[in-house]
Order: sequence, then structure tokens, then C-alpha cells
Amino acid sequence: MKIPISHRSTQRQQRLFFLGMLVLFIPCLFYLDLSYGQFASGLERIPDMARQMMHLSFEELPKMLRELLTSIIIAFLCVVLSVLISLLLAFVVARATTPNRYVSAALRAMIVIIRTIPTTIWVLLAVASMGFGPMAGVVGLLLPTIAFLIRVFSDQIDEAGRDTAEAIRSVGGTWWHVVCNGLLPTLLTGFLALIAFKFEITVAETVILGIVGAGGIGVLLQGYISFYEFAPLMLGMLLVFITLFLLEMGTNLIRTKLAGKGSK
Amino acid sequence: MEPLLSIQQLTKQYNKQHTALAGISLDVSRGEFVAVIGPSGAGKSTLLRSINRLAEPTSGSIAFEGVRVEQARKKELRQVRANIGMIFQHYNLVYRLSVLENVLHGRLGHMSSFAGMFSRYSEADKEEAIRLLRKVGLENEIYKRADELSGGQKQRVGICRALAQKPSLILADEPIASLDPRSSKIVMDALRANCEEQGITCLVNLHQVDVAKRYATRIVGIKAGKVVFDGPPSELHEGYIEHIYEGKEHEQFSITNTEGISA
Repeated sequence: MKIPISHRSTQRQQRLFFLGMLVLFIPCLFYLDLSYGQFASGLERIPDMARQMMHLSFEELPKMLRELLTSIIIAFLCVVLSVLISLLLAFVVARATTPNRYVSAALRAMIVIIRTIPTTIWVLLAVASMGFGPMAGVVGLLLPTIAFLIRVFSDQIDEAGRDTAEAIRSVGGTWWHVVCNGLLPTLLTGFLALIAFKFEITVAETVILGIVGAGGIGVLLQGYISFYEFAPLMLGMLLVFITLFLLEMGTNLIRTKLAGKGSK
Repeated sequence: MEPLLSIQQLTKQYNKQHTALAGISLDVSRGEFVAVIGPSGAGKSTLLRSINRLAEPTSGSIAFEGVRVEQARKKELRQVRANIGMIFQHYNLVYRLSVLENVLHGRLGHMSSFAGMFSRYSEADKEEAIRLLRKVGLENEIYKRADELSGGQKQRVGICRALAQKPSLILADEPIASLDPRSSKIVMDALRANCEEQGITCLVNLHQVDVAKRYATRIVGIKAGKVVFDGPPSELHEGYIEHIYEGKEHEQFSITNTEGISA
């Protein structure tokens, strides 16, 4: 007889999980009523679309660059404002440093609510209330960005800050001493890496959110798509790709630099 | 003379099942060097942390220099804490700051939020901090980052931070539990010598009975949240030790054994 090697209940759980997925998959497939004819005709159009896309037109380049810059600036303003607000609130939310448990719990609940509503909807709300343009972009992105940053900051404070907080408290330091003398020096490099990461994500988001009217290059892309202008669309997509690629490289560089210096 | 620290019927209940302290009474006079011994989970740590209220006691009273610690309000509690130095098992330094800044943190309890936040320590405080570091043999490490130091060096910084407070009481929670025997000796010597010299009373949690006997002027044995021995080291006979570590003998022996090997 073969000797069993796996952990019984883990194996059973995993099998049950995959079985459940399979059982759900079949009714789902029929529910959507996917049309294969549509798929096939779409395939036929690809060569034609590709041909049009190959005609790169640089006519719109200056306009696109200007809008791209707007996108990046929207993201930058939004991240800077969010950092200012969340840096303080994170210490109020984190369990290791909160001055009041009920305030912390209330803020936590608010963050959960903000984060369960997709960013696109926040921006749509902002657009609906203050009209199209960059202002709606900044305001709409603000809440989800703040919520994200508070969440990741406070997690780091709870994870790494308990001992330090205790040390400063034991010498009779105030809350501000715990935060400014103990925790910020310890956590700041980690925070900077998170901020760089969030900036990168936010730029990508502003491009998409431009499509719903939040200003920036997304607005132009949306226009090209609705009028089937594939040539400038291609250029726009290329620009976005290059920007995000460079940004990714840049933030990676910042992150490894910061992580390397604080070797633990 | 009124004792420096007077603990009466102190209890701490973490939850219904877990009682850490089951009514501890203890008076500590000025100048004593008290070692608290007992197996892990006996409540040594909770006892020490209740004294400066890093842990909130459930009932009982703690009087330090005539102030009722368990009733102290925010500002009062800060003043109490400023006069009690604490040394941690895991050092609890701010590892991204310099050694000197870590020692200066001992002054924060005597400073306003604003002055502390912007690290505006007085020149006199800085000189004193450097003097303390020299005394424990860290004169070459003053401007190093705290994470560059070895364990024994980190703990000496911890001692300097506590001394910088100019406290009347020092609480040391397992200060040598993470150190090798040689570093342990340096750390205990530094702690003992400085306390004696400046007349600081000291309460040290220790795992190692032999270390407790060598350094302490008084030993308190704790078992299951109760004081089961309280007296000078000379009176701590084998019978008491066996009683304190009953059922957990391996903890006591394993430590004495490893010390025997490396010595």
C-alpha cells in the first residue's frame, strides 16, 4: 500500500474548491449567451485595424503631449495631497499608536467603505458634481488614494512600530514624540517606496479615468476610439505605454535604492 | 522611610482563562537591586510593565514616589514614566537613527512635544549622553546607526537611554535573554555599576538564577502570578529554586548548562 503524504483536510479543501469552480463555470457560460459570430467577424477586422494603426500620424502629437502632461500632473497633485493627509491619519488609525480606539475604528470603517467603491465611480461622481476636467480628476482620485495610503501606512506602523512606540512611551514621551522621534525615522524609507509605487498606479488610473471625463490624455483617447481614428489612437497608446514603462523603471530604481540603504 | 515603590495586591487578567498576576504585593526601597526570577509565563514581564503602565493592571495599587501610578492621568503618567527608565529584551532602539540620538530619546519625557519633535536637545543633554556612552565603552560608536551595532552594544545603548532620563528607578525586562554569556556579563556589569553609583533603584527580570544571585541585593521569586520567595540571595536555597521552577525545571537547567559550557 502506498503511504499517503499530504495533509488530509488541506487536500480535501483544495479539491472541493476546484470542483466548486467547475460546477459554477458551466451555468455561467450559458448565462452570458456569448455570440461566436461576433467573435469571428471581429477577428476578420483585425488586419484592417492593424493596417490603419500602422499609419502613425504625428499631427496630434503636441496636443497629446500636453494632455499627457496634464494626466501626470493630476496624478502628482493628487498623490501629494493624499500623502499630507494620510501620513497623519495613519498614525491615528494604526492600533499601535492610536490615541483613541473608537476614532480608529470609525476611520477604519470609512476606509473600508471608500475602498469598496471602485475609483472609477468616485471620479464619475466628481465629474457629475463639478463637470468635466482636471478638477474632477484630482478630487475624484483623492478619496481612494487617501484610503489606500492610510491602509498601507497603518499596516506598516502596526507591523514594525510596536517596540519603538513602547520605548518612546516608556521614557515619558508624548504622542508626537512617539510619531516623530520613534516611528517616522524608522518607517520613512518604507513609506517613500510606497508613495512612489502609488504614484505609478495613479498615473495609470488618470489615463483610464480621462476616458470618463476627468481630463488628461484619456479624454483624447476616448475621442479617437469613438470616431474610429486608429492612427492617432496608436500614437496615444504608444505614448502612454512609454510613459508608464519609464515610470515603472524609475520607481523601481527608487525602491531598490531605498531598500538597499536600509539593509536589515 | 517610605519605600520608593509600593505595590499592593496587584492583579492582571488578560482574559477569563489567562491570569498573569494573581495578587502581588511588593515594597522596594531606594538603592535596592532586585532580581525577579521565575519560569516563563509566571508574570515577571507583566509585573514590570504594569509599574510604568505599558500594561494596564486589572486591580490593586502601585505607588511610585508617593504617586498612585494606576490612577495617574495622561500628564501625570508621563511624569512618572520620565522618572522610570526601562530596558527591553529586544532593545527597542530606533534603528535608523544614530546611537547618540537614541540615547537622547531618554530626555524626551522632560521636553515639550514641539521641542522633542524637532530634536532640539540642549547642549548639556548632548554632553551628558556622550559621557554616558563613553562610560559603557561605546565612544567609537556614537555616530553609528543603531542597526550597525552588535546585540550587546545595542543593549548598552538601551542602558544609556534609561540613564539619560536621570531616573530614580530602572526596570529591566530580561535585558540579557537575547545575549551570549560574555555580552551578558558586560551588560549586567554596566547596569549594576551605574545604578550603584547614581543611587538608582533597579528591578531586573532574569531567567538565570545564577546571574540573579551574583548581582542582586534581593531576589523575588514569582510563580503563576504570585510571590513565592522574597529575600536576600544568600537565603535562596535549592529547595526554593526547585519550588519556583517546579514542572519547568528544564528552563532553569538548560540556561545554567549552556552557561557552564561557554564559560
